[in-house]
Amino acid sequence: MMMLGCMGRTAILMLALFVMGWWLGEPAVSRAEDPDYPRITGPCNCHFPKDHGPHPDYKTEWWYYTGNLKSVDGRRFGFQLTFFRSRVLPPGAEASWPDPKSAWRAPQVILAHAALTDIDGKRFLHAEEMARAALGMAGASIEPATGAVDIFVKDWRVRITPETHELRAAADDFGLDLDALPERPPVLHGDAGYSLKGSTPERSSCYYSFTRLKTTGDIILNGEALPVTGESWMDHEFSSAPLEPGIAGWNWWSIQLANGSDLMIYLLRKSDGTFHPASGGTLVDARGKAVHLGADDVRAEATGSWKSPHSGAVYPERWKIFIHPKAGDKELSLTVAPNLQDQEMRTPGTTGVTYWEGSISVEGSMNDAPVKGVGYMELTGYEKAFDAPM
Amino acid sequence: MRQFTLFLRLFNWFTVRMLKRHRWRVLTVLLGISLGAAVFTSVRLSIGASLDAFTRSMDLIAGKADWTVTHHGGRVPEEFVAPLLRAPGVAAASPILTAYVHPAEDRGSESGMEAPPFLLVGIDPILDRAVRSWGVEGGGPGRISGGTDLITDPGAILIGKPLAELLRLKTNDRLPLERLRSAQKFRVAGELTTEGLGLAEGGKIAVADIATLQEFTGLIGVVDRIDILLKPTATKQDVERIRSLLPPGVVLERPSEARESGKMMIRSYRLNLSVLSFVSLFVGMFLVYSLIALNARARRRELAILRSIGATPRMIFLLFLTEGGLFGVFGWLAALPISTFMVRRLLSGISGAISHLFVRVSIDRLNLDPWEIALSLAATTGISALAAYQPAREAMRASPREAIDAEGGDGAERTSPRRLAALGALLIASVWPISRAPSPPELPLPGYIATFLLFSGFSLLSPWCLQFVGTRVPPLLRRIQGEPAYLAGRYVRDAGTRTAISVGALITAMALFTALATMVHSFRKTVDNWANESISGDLFIRHQMSETNQYRDPLPEEVVRKLIEIRGRGGVDILPYRRIPLRFGGHPYHYEALDMDVFRRRSRFLFVRGDAARALEKLARGEGVLASEVFASKTGLGVGDRYRAVVEGVAIDLPIVGIARDYRTQGGVVWHSLRALEALTGKREWTGARMFLSGSTEQERSAATENLRSELIRDCAERYPVAVTTGKDLRGEIMRIFDETFAVTTVLLLIALLVAALGITTTLTLLVIERKRQLNTLAAIGAGRNQLRSMILWESLLMVGVGEAVGLACGFALSYILIFVINRQSFGWTFIYSTDWSSVLMSLPLILLTALVAAIPAIRLVLGYSPAMALKE
Amino acid sequence: MNASPGAAPLIEAKGLTRTYRMGASNVVGVSGIDLVVASGELATLKGASGSGKSTLLALLAGLDQPTSGSLTVAGNDLQKATEAELTRYRRDVTGIVFQSFNLLPTLTVLENVCLPALLAGKPYEETRSKASGVVEWLGLRERRDHLPSQLSGGEMQRTAIARALINDPRLLLADEPTGNLDSRNGAIVIELLAELNRASGRTVVIATHGDMADAYATMQITLKDGAIHKILRK
Repeated sequence: MMMLGCMGRTAILMLALFVMGWWLGEPAVSRAEDPDYPRITGPCNCHFPKDHGPHPDYKTEWWYYTGNLKSVDGRRFGFQLTFFRSRVLPPGAEASWPDPKSAWRAPQVILAHAALTDIDGKRFLHAEEMARAALGMAGASIEPATGAVDIFVKDWRVRITPETHELRAAADDFGLDLDALPERPPVLHGDAGYSLKGSTPERSSCYYSFTRLKTTGDIILNGEALPVTGESWMDHEFSSAPLEPGIAGWNWWSIQLANGSDLMIYLLRKSDGTFHPASGGTLVDARGKAVHLGADDVRAEATGSWKSPHSGAVYPERWKIFIHPKAGDKELSLTVAPNLQDQEMRTPGTTGVTYWEGSISVEGSMNDAPVKGVGYMELTGYEKAFDAPM
Repeated sequence: MRQFTLFLRLFNWFTVRMLKRHRWRVLTVLLGISLGAAVFTSVRLSIGASLDAFTRSMDLIAGKADWTVTHHGGRVPEEFVAPLLRAPGVAAASPILTAYVHPAEDRGSESGMEAPPFLLVGIDPILDRAVRSWGVEGGGPGRISGGTDLITDPGAILIGKPLAELLRLKTNDRLPLERLRSAQKFRVAGELTTEGLGLAEGGKIAVADIATLQEFTGLIGVVDRIDILLKPTATKQDVERIRSLLPPGVVLERPSEARESGKMMIRSYRLNLSVLSFVSLFVGMFLVYSLIALNARARRRELAILRSIGATPRMIFLLFLTEGGLFGVFGWLAALPISTFMVRRLLSGISGAISHLFVRVSIDRLNLDPWEIALSLAATTGISALAAYQPAREAMRASPREAIDAEGGDGAERTSPRRLAALGALLIASVWPISRAPSPPELPLPGYIATFLLFSGFSLLSPWCLQFVGTRVPPLLRRIQGEPAYLAGRYVRDAGTRTAISVGALITAMALFTALATMVHSFRKTVDNWANESISGDLFIRHQMSETNQYRDPLPEEVVRKLIEIRGRGGVDILPYRRIPLRFGGHPYHYEALDMDVFRRRSRFLFVRGDAARALEKLARGEGVLASEVFASKTGLGVGDRYRAVVEGVAIDLPIVGIARDYRTQGGVVWHSLRALEALTGKREWTGARMFLSGSTEQERSAATENLRSELIRDCAERYPVAVTTGKDLRGEIMRIFDETFAVTTVLLLIALLVAALGITTTLTLLVIERKRQLNTLAAIGAGRNQLRSMILWESLLMVGVGEAVGLACGFALSYILIFVINRQSFGWTFIYSTDWSSVLMSLPLILLTALVAAIPAIRLVLGYSPAMALKE
Repeated sequence: MNASPGAAPLIEAKGLTRTYRMGASNVVGVSGIDLVVASGELATLKGASGSGKSTLLALLAGLDQPTSGSLTVAGNDLQKATEAELTRYRRDVTGIVFQSFNLLPTLTVLENVCLPALLAGKPYEETRSKASGVVEWLGLRERRDHLPSQLSGGEMQRTAIARALINDPRLLLADEPTGNLDSRNGAIVIELLAELNRASGRTVVIATHGDMADAYATMQITLKDGAIHKILRK
């Protein structure tokens, strides 16, 4: 079990929760919590494959895949495919629906983001989809018999079976058709998945990851299918609690080192620029043992930035990260560089949020031994602070 | 250039100064012209606004859609949305469900007037984003917060600003909408921004989640249509593949088709009304003609002088032609304020008529289309110049010799009344064959041409008639009324074409009035008769707001069962029917399947063609169909031709066995046997039913009707969206709609009548003025004031008499053309000819009075001259 | 200047005839007129009413065309002339003064005088100053901007004369110019016409009943029943 600490993979949690709050029309930061939704206040008791499936009573949930791929001729790609489930009405609200009711009345909306970074071609493509979970347009479900999980919106989907994760997405100018096989068992963050993300116990989620998935399949670019292989990272998290006030955004990294270690770091940025004490991360060793990292265990310095010509936001894209966990004996010193400067996601059609999410290359040393790796970095809150009035 | 300045100078010296001297005459003529021009302009602007509003609304509602999936006469099952979303080449697919809804009573009374129905649009805010543009006031870019409210709150709607103003609503107010017997309260979640959907229907629109609309209307499981936006890379094969996904009956078509057929109907209506309003302008011609002709005649001497000092005939011609044109221009300018006033009044009448007749329009603004302005200016100036043409030509012929007072002809009449009458008779004779000529669709061009020929022909007859009356009548008159009356008769005989103009105006007025009275009377009587015969029934039950929502929704199964149960009790005859709106070669019409057994017992078709008995037999057996007059005239099909259509997915191919009258709005009707339809489709679906109750006395029947009505309301209308109406109310409603529709036509003809009346007064006055020398001579040789007065009175009487008689004849002929030619060619229906004798006979003394009233200022003018004036000059 | 014998005659008529249709019958205006009038003559045209005076004058003025015979004035063949040619003739060659003045009632004195010149295409400013001169010469300066309705008979006739002169016509015709005037004004008008004949050598033909012009006339033409009765030369 991975203890990833209070925040853990809260990066995306916060993003998604914020996104949901945004979309719902209320600044998510201002509401403490919605009393009508079930809360997470203790160990999640995750059982698989059941908990790979949706937890429909909770407000927000997502299945999040990123990865670095190479084609046969050595071209490098990064990809992202995320499915969000958002519950727009508290459970029980359905009782007050009219009878007979329309088939369109559904409490769930499914959103999806997809992105492809053509590193050598210096191109970044992204797309989004959204539909309500009704009438076969979108859905999130689990087959009780086989345990297969299907999350889809229109013709994008992820299908999670005991064998593999099938990822499919088709946008106007690119497509993904990948199979990701978990190389390690899922890592539960926090206390059996219960991960705190704020100052009070209610601000929490259930959260686990597959830190390494061997990925094969095709990337469709310019109408042609390109066979690729590589490594992916998957996050699955659900919660009903919104973001804590005072947070301007966060920075998040997932890194897969060549020596078998995986690293996840999450830094919550306050409006004054300092990092919230709830920040932290997780370090997984080559055998799969996970160590939680607290805010004191991580030091990060931005060493270079890039200004987006699209949105005008300035993203700190180059970092020096120092990990010195109190527990355990690993010491990491890493330099992080983006594989392409412009990997800015703009999603006006679904969440309205603009953030940077892209493939990175990493090198440095672990316990004085040189290490190299790949991964993904996410930078949010640089276009507008999250609690800025709209 | 010098020629031009010379002309202008001469025009000013000669024409303008003279016009300034006779202000009253000039103003009267300008008034007449301006009325005509105002009517013409207002009508065109009003219809233009309707056309504009309709097109814009359709476009705004259609959004960016490339294609649309639709089911004519029905709705599209919602399960096709997902497959369409996944189809290759499809960038976005958005289902849409619309219904016209009524604010519930208490809301209406709050604002002090009956709130009209408005369009409620149901969409999926998520899917719709790519297809239609709309926004919520106060929402930021990228935020569709109002959109989510729609999804999460089953009672949330967004309303357009104009609607918010009309119903006095703010965000978070409650708006109850009529549903079944109660009102469902909606919450105003926000206001629509002024773009896209927020502008459609003049802004009197509301948006709700599609789920909300389905639940409110009871239309669970279906949508109106699915609008599709293709990817830029989509190919023809992609389009075909989309088509192949659809079940039979559901088609893929361009969104513009519905819009284009609506536009076509409005455009043809515009042409019809334009011509009608043109009559007012045309009648104004008389005024210009008479004034300019008077000027030319009175100043003949001056014209001779001009010629004698070197003016060319062309210059003189242009002087008068320009005078005419000037009247046109100034008349048009004077029309502008009148138009402003008129348009406001006409706008609601015309948009109402169009909404009843063709498609719903809701006008929010008036476009001042520069082309329309130019057209009305051109028409007015053209008409006036045309009116001046003949006097100008006549003036051109002024011989310079006349300047010298030489002996010789003194401008004797060029054309004899006999020749004119012959020409007139020829024109009148040509009216019949021309009116029978085939007309372009929906534009009764031959009818209009025939009308103008009729007016011209009868007007040309008048000199001869006057001559006839003037010859025969005076000897009689002398015996009755003495010398003045005799002189009056002689004058009438000899004055020839001069008086013919006055009489022409009279004939026009009389004819218009007679024709109008006859047409309206015929029409009303026919429709009333038809309503009582063919739309018989004591109670009617159908889907709520079925007309406005185009009869697409059948009665719920439970209601049908209830009706069958009622039938089983006995004492009540139930006549169910299924009505489906379809299109035949682009023409919208209704297909109606009736229970023929009950129909034959209880109701009647008013046959226009075909053997009634045999046709009904075949109809009852399902071996043929009956077509309405309108359907037959629009499609060109007749008795014996085959009717082919696809109804509810089933092909029908049957002969037409008869043509019957029908005055429903929105196209023609084809009748079929309900039993035959049910056998073909295997479905029992009723759009509605008529109920006939028995009872030996009127009272018994009413009581039974009332009881049954209460029962139906209690058992059906409470739970299902149906409306139960008494036959009396329904037929009253039909008459009211027709009255409203024809109100516009009536107004137009009345205005033309007014202009004609003005024409009469002006021309009579001018006639008298022209003769002042003669009258003064008479006074000088001893005629007393009373005798002069009497003479003029008799002249007026004789002229008016001739005018009314000829006008009456012309009017009857005109009414015939209006009813059997113009109406038939523009709308497709005919009426049973019926004259309103009381109105016509009453009009005779009224018009006589108008003419006599005109004589009064003339008389005063005459008697104001002193006899000594006869000696001067 | 008096007539100079041997110069080409201004007016030459041979067998000049003009008949009208009135209803069903033919009325003879003039018939078989042979006439020669030299340039510079002042001729009086006499005869009872109905003798054809007005007809002959109308023909000379180009207001009417002969039915048969020939009529040449200042080299213009009036018998063959087209409507346009006649218009030009009336404008440029003759000036006519009527019995009933025939001024245009909506034009001022000055405007009436300018009109023939403007119709001939002359520029406005130039015409105006010329007309002003003529109007002044005729003693109408204070009446320049008055309408005919504000003038006395004599003033109206003088205006008419001014108008007849504006285009420098070779032939000046007058139809009973004194008919509507009192004797004093009549005398003034005759004197003016005589002055114009004397001073500029203009040919003048006056149709008149009375004998006021006899003193100045160089020839006297008498008509009877549409034909020449006698011609007297001084």
